[in-house]
Amino acid sequence: MNATFEKYLNTIDNCLKPLPVSERIDIVKEIKGSILEMEGEKLTTEQILDRLGKPKDLARAYLGDLLSKESKFSWNRFLIVCAFYSLVGFSGLFVIPCLAIVAPTFIVCGIVTPVLGIVKLVDYLLHLNIPFVEYIGFEFGSTILSPVPVFILSIIMGVILFLVGKGSWKLLVYYCKQVSKTKSNLSI
Amino acid sequence: MNLDKWKSQMVRGTLEYCILLMLNKKIYYGYEILQELSKYPIITSTESTVYPLLRRLQKDKYLQSTWKDSAEGLPPRKYYSLTPEGKEYLEAMNNEWKNLLNAMSDLKGE
Repeated sequence: MNATFEKYLNTIDNCLKPLPVSERIDIVKEIKGSILEMEGEKLTTEQILDRLGKPKDLARAYLGDLLSKESKFSWNRFLIVCAFYSLVGFSGLFVIPCLAIVAPTFIVCGIVTPVLGIVKLVDYLLHLNIPFVEYIGFEFGSTILSPVPVFILSIIMGVILFLVGKGSWKLLVYYCKQVSKTKSNLSI
Repeated sequence: MNLDKWKSQMVRGTLEYCILLMLNKKIYYGYEILQELSKYPIITSTESTVYPLLRRLQKDKYLQSTWKDSAEGLPPRKYYSLTPEGKEYLEAMNNEWKNLLNAMSDLKGE
């Protein structure tokens, strides 16, 4: 494969910018395959270029459907695009930062809570008197739980917090995926 | 007499049918389809018509494709095959084609 063809394929790739990257790579790979097949049949560079035509024209053949679709301006489409960006813009303003803060915080809390419960239990059982451990515990009104129920409760709380954190994270990922999916469906 | 224009319109309308007929028999890679078509001067086509057409047929779910990176310095080849929808589509085309041929022979007064 000589430099002429490298340049030819580059031009095609550039002309295909309106298409998604994966599609572009695929198209260029297929054309490259054709060039290599023809080289294998001992066709000259001129013959190959003659058959393929100008790179811009070849690229345009791929874009044909797309361009004729895009040239049709409709108010309906315009409104859909506006609605999409307004909705995503406003909802994203709250959803993304909230979930992005909530998710890791809950996950960290979900890990820290049982760890502290264990520390409290170990401290109580072995009489270590670790400083500040007296501050660890659960308080319901005026009743303060003893270390064993604190330990059990901390495990339960930890699991719940962790699941909530993970759920928020999944929700965030789901939200982002849905947005990009909707965007590509609308082909904006 | 401008036969070329009429011929190219006719080919443009039937190329899709030709390709589906080919793929109904066996799987082909893109360049092989061009080779096969070039056996018949009337439907000989180039990359710029066939490749985008294959892409559209695939987008419409009539075809599926897989890349086979053939060994020994051969270029990678993208093989196409019919999907169940493609087979259905071809079936319907066969029907319409028959209708067209019947109409033609009627009009000719055969």
